[in-house]
Amino acid sequence: MADLLNTSISGLLAFQRALDTTSHNIANANTVGYSRQLPDFVTRQAQQAGSGWVGNGVDVSTIRRAYDDFLASQARTSSSQYHQSNTYATQAERINNLLGDSGTGLSASLQNFVNALHSVADSPTSIPARQTLLSQAQTLVDRMNSYDSSLRSFESQVNGSLEREAATITTLARNLAQLNEQISGAYAQSRQPPNDLLDQRDRLIDELSTHLNVNVVMQEDYSANIFVGNGQPLVVGRTHSTMAATPDAFDPTRKSISILSAQGAVEIQSTLSGGTLGGMLEFRTQMLDPARNTLGLLSVSLTEVMNQQHAAGMDLDGALGGEFFSIGGVEVQASSNNSGTAGAVVTRIPGSAGTLTTHDYLLVSTSGGWNLRRLDNGATIPMTGSGTATDPFLAEGLSIVVSGTPGMADQLLLKPTAAAVSGLQTLITDPARIAAAAPIVSAAAAGNTGSGVISQGEVLDAGHAQLRSPVRIEFTSATSYTIGTDPTVYTYEAGADIDVNGWRVTISGSPAAGDSFTVENNLTGSGDNRNALKLADVLLQPVMNQGKTSLNAGVGAFLGDVGVKTNQMQVARDAQKVVADEASSALQSVAGVNLDEEAANLIRYQQAYMAMSQMIRVADTLFQSILQAVRG
Amino acid sequence: MRLSTLSFYNNSLAAMQLQSSSLAKLQNQVALGRRVQTPADDPIATAHILELERAQSESAQLAKNSTLARNRLNLEEQSLADVGTILTRVRELTLQASNIGTLSDSDRRSIATELSSRLAELQDVANRQDGGGEYLFAGFSSLTKPFAGGGDASVRYVADQGSRLLQISSTQRIADSHSGFDVFMNVPQGNGTFFTAGSASNTGSGVIDVGALVDRSSWVPGSYTIAFSSPSQWEITDGAVPANVLASGTYTAGEPIEFNAVRVTISGTPAAGDTFSVGSARAEDIFSTISQIADALRQPADSPAANARLASVLQGSLQQLDQASDHVLRIRAEVGARLSTIDSTDDSRAALDVDLASALSDLRDLDYAQAITRMNQQLVGLQAAQLSYSKISQLSLFNYLR
Repeated sequence: MADLLNTSISGLLAFQRALDTTSHNIANANTVGYSRQLPDFVTRQAQQAGSGWVGNGVDVSTIRRAYDDFLASQARTSSSQYHQSNTYATQAERINNLLGDSGTGLSASLQNFVNALHSVADSPTSIPARQTLLSQAQTLVDRMNSYDSSLRSFESQVNGSLEREAATITTLARNLAQLNEQISGAYAQSRQPPNDLLDQRDRLIDELSTHLNVNVVMQEDYSANIFVGNGQPLVVGRTHSTMAATPDAFDPTRKSISILSAQGAVEIQSTLSGGTLGGMLEFRTQMLDPARNTLGLLSVSLTEVMNQQHAAGMDLDGALGGEFFSIGGVEVQASSNNSGTAGAVVTRIPGSAGTLTTHDYLLVSTSGGWNLRRLDNGATIPMTGSGTATDPFLAEGLSIVVSGTPGMADQLLLKPTAAAVSGLQTLITDPARIAAAAPIVSAAAAGNTGSGVISQGEVLDAGHAQLRSPVRIEFTSATSYTIGTDPTVYTYEAGADIDVNGWRVTISGSPAAGDSFTVENNLTGSGDNRNALKLADVLLQPVMNQGKTSLNAGVGAFLGDVGVKTNQMQVARDAQKVVADEASSALQSVAGVNLDEEAANLIRYQQAYMAMSQMIRVADTLFQSILQAVRG
Repeated sequence: MRLSTLSFYNNSLAAMQLQSSSLAKLQNQVALGRRVQTPADDPIATAHILELERAQSESAQLAKNSTLARNRLNLEEQSLADVGTILTRVRELTLQASNIGTLSDSDRRSIATELSSRLAELQDVANRQDGGGEYLFAGFSSLTKPFAGGGDASVRYVADQGSRLLQISSTQRIADSHSGFDVFMNVPQGNGTFFTAGSASNTGSGVIDVGALVDRSSWVPGSYTIAFSSPSQWEITDGAVPANVLASGTYTAGEPIEFNAVRVTISGTPAAGDTFSVGSARAEDIFSTISQIADALRQPADSPAANARLASVLQGSLQQLDQASDHVLRIRAEVGARLSTIDSTDDSRAALDVDLASALSDLRDLDYAQAITRMNQQLVGLQAAQLSYSKISQLSLFNYLR
């Protein structure tokens, strides 16, 4: 009889515990990271009676957490990947939107500039047309500069985000170390898993995974060790490391990610992936740096072709045209880890717009001398020359003069185009200084009896001292001619180049003996538009990428590239979102609370509890009936 | 599969958010009428769109260039027409003056006076400026007055032979003018191959005609002299030193003399010692042609020799005036050809513009029918999601625990 009571009480207590658990589940139905809990009922040890083993009731052996480590780790990996592509895509969209507006975009500015050159070609003496050209040039420069400064501000925003990410990750690591301590303590005390602490810990790991990809190793005492990158420990038991955004070895204004330890900072940036941190890093190397370099290359090419042709022209005052645009130089950064004193002066080889690339390079000191490598893939680039001022290293459109004494494996970072746009300016401010005319003019003598025709002439070397001296080409016979005071008699060949004093003309047709042609200074040629036409022309010529890409096509390719990358990341984000949602649903289907299920449990446990209460009453009744019998 | 209550709410919400975000994007596309708004919307189309927009902008500039070229050529055409009118009048006056016997010296002087004023008028036309103050016939030196001198002095060309090209299509450039050298200075002399002249010191009344070329291929350029040793004996020498005698003969008035593929006729009565020259044609400017006529008309024609000189000059000048008219006509024809080139490039550009616009629209603009159909689908989807959410979320076992 006492057993009946005991058994009933054990059931009553067990169902009370079950109802508690159900109530806890219902209360936490909307708690993020909560895993539903289940009472594990076990039958008590039975008692041996003569008639056999008599049951002794029920116990709740433990409150179990419905959780699946495998599903959880899948959910974390996919969430980490989703957050990486989401961050990348979000940042990429900003560049995409910045460059996207075609009405005011780069391509339109460039074409407006070409159009303004045509307007000057149409009316070379018109000051308003020249003024328009200057303002279009300024608009183009401003456009480039505004894109570049936007990209720079993205870069400083990336630096800021890296600092915030590092701080957040460090805070999470600290909290995780504390939770590990509490969890192992609670477990040591009760030998039962502290479910709610585990949920909290797992939720923190989930959050950490949205910042970067982590590797979690569970311990016997329910604590978790967390590693990042190539196995660098972030949290081990109750201790944690500090992650920090530290200055880059080459460029102190650029942040990289390091783990701080007693031995100092260890840069682990290249090994990190996943999460918002991985997304930021990937965005920076895959999109932001190339975008700045490409913009730089576009402005270098623009400046180069424009300056070269402009210098070969003559302005409204009869002076030779100078440079039209100025441009920033090549950036050289020595690593702060260098042991030697080596430095380098790097310039772009004139006329090298076609060979310059958007890559950055590392100049590495090796036992065999200096070695040039591409920064992104480490490929070795062959160089000619010896690196001295008289015989510089030449490679990829760059001329490199090294100085100082390098230590072994010292590194110099070369950025050929990154700083170009910041120096882009229009040097011409006076509209009359636009060199729309050619400095020379050719003429046939009046009364030439032959049908010889002289071409208008083009300038090959604007720096030639005798460029604008008058020269007379006289035909001594129908097949031979002399040039100026030079006694040499040249054989006439129709259409062949005649190069004198830095200019070139061709004579075609059949000149007669005694015919003469002159080439002279075009000082009064204010209505000449030949150089303006050439300027408009060279801007449409393929000057970039080994002479395969024009500036306009370069702008198109640049925008196309930004578009493709953005689009890829958007697609990747959407796909990762589905994967992450599915992984999270899979975990939720194990760990989440279903209210209908809890309601059913509630009814089940409530009825069991009521049945148990009834059993106590039965026990009481039985007991009372015996008492009555005894009382008689 | 077990479904946790929280994920039911989360999933339903996410589904509805997805629907409304695609709806918002569609709505934006419909509002702007553009399918591609940023490069990421369609990266491949973006590059094409940029190129098409560039081509449109270029085409607009080319149209401006072409309009400008047409205006300038029209202006030149007008000036050349004026030159033609002046030359016609000069020719009339010269013909009138050719009636040597019926005109008095003073008649000739008044013709000379009119010729001088025509000459000044011609110089004004040659120095004409366009609306922007640029000289039409100055080559590249468009701010330099091209024809200097005039009045008593001879007219000189002080500008250059350049001719400005304007870009009228992506591959075509067209000159917007001719230099004054081309129009006024470089007129072929005589018949274009040779010219004839009587010496100013001739004392006889012999007059040489303008001659004719019998066989162009046998003509040897050079300068030749027909000299009369007596009124009936002529001898032709070349310009070598010492001179070679090419032919000689007995003079019969009006009978052609042929040498070196040239046939000339001398009429009248030459005197002993008179010479006539036949030389390779070079160039003569229109101004000197006219001023030579005027100068000759101012000389008194008071002797057979003077009459002969005048007749010789007038004959040569008439030929030279015809050359000049032909030359100006040829230049006008060139202008006309350029104008028609501009017209045809304008036509093809207009066709290209239509193509560009339609290609651009295909790439960039929204297909409204498609977009609105899609929008309706999305709307239905969103409504269904909302309705099912509100229905399903009401279902709970707790509703029955009363």
